Amino acid sequence: MADHAATHAVHDPNIGTTGLDHRKMGMWAFLGSDCMFFGSLIGTYLAYKGKSISGPSPRDVFDIPLTSYSAALLLASSLTMVLALAALQDDRVKVAARWLLATAAMGLHFVLNQVYEFWTFVHHHDLTLSTSLFGSSFFVLTGFHGAHVTGGVVWLLLLVGLAWGGRLDKRDHTKVEIAGLYWHFVDIVWIAIFTVIYLIP
Amino acid sequence: MVDPDGTAAATQGEGGGHVTVKTYVNVAIVLAIITALEVATLYIPGIPSSLLVGILLVMSALKFYLVVGFFMHLKYDHQIMRALFVGPLMIAIAIILAVMALFSAFLLLPRSH
Repeated sequence: MADHAATHAVHDPNIGTTGLDHRKMGMWAFLGSDCMFFGSLIGTYLAYKGKSISGPSPRDVFDIPLTSYSAALLLASSLTMVLALAALQDDRVKVAARWLLATAAMGLHFVLNQVYEFWTFVHHHDLTLSTSLFGSSFFVLTGFHGAHVTGGVVWLLLLVGLAWGGRLDKRDHTKVEIAGLYWHFVDIVWIAIFTVIYLIP
Repeated sequence: MVDPDGTAAATQGEGGGHVTVKTYVNVAIVLAIITALEVATLYIPGIPSSLLVGILLVMSALKFYLVVGFFMHLKYDHQIMRALFVGPLMIAIAIILAVMALFSAFLLLPRSH
């Protein structure tokens, strides 16, 4: 095992003495820290739940069908993301680029749904960041998640650009895998938000 | 574009295990079914609040596990990767429970007054 790792270390500067890819370990460490970030925001939302003294309640404003559709979009985008990785590992770069583009498109659709949701809350329900404890904790939590999704969409589009420009091939699969880890992470955060914030009464 | 046999493309985790395209598609189908069940559970008339909360949390945890285990390959990855993610995840859950306890918000279940 040690010899195997040492051999890799000689040939690939991204492989350390553990035999593991530094970039991938770095991403897992980042995702672990991001878990704590979102854990704090979810905990705050739950702590404030039902304690607003003004403004509309969650039941008054949530559009469950729209949010369910958004949840389905993110889940579907996780599938297209892994299909992109599988295609690249199989050296089908054009197919991988198409799956990456599909993933980015669904991510963008999710963000647009969220923008529409926020717009509705502000203009139809008079719920803003400063209206109530519910407003502040909701917008901060879901807003940071939306920012993560937006960052992921930009990342995916950069990968599509690299693929179209002929600068992404089978040897770069770790780059796509790391982007995928990030993308799946925003999906699992939404799984938690969807249940805890939207579905639990 | 999907390989029906799942034999052409497979993703290898650092731990050496394989995930095939067929597995990805199957996991996605299960995720879609669970999501539909989650939403449908909301519309069951007369379901006790604590039961509803319990069912939703279990289904959510299952979805979380499926995405992390199969799509993120953590089930097949090296134990260092698992430790890097699962450790902070446990801390995050502890943070949520601690903040809830701090504010007396045992919110997922009916609270006593």
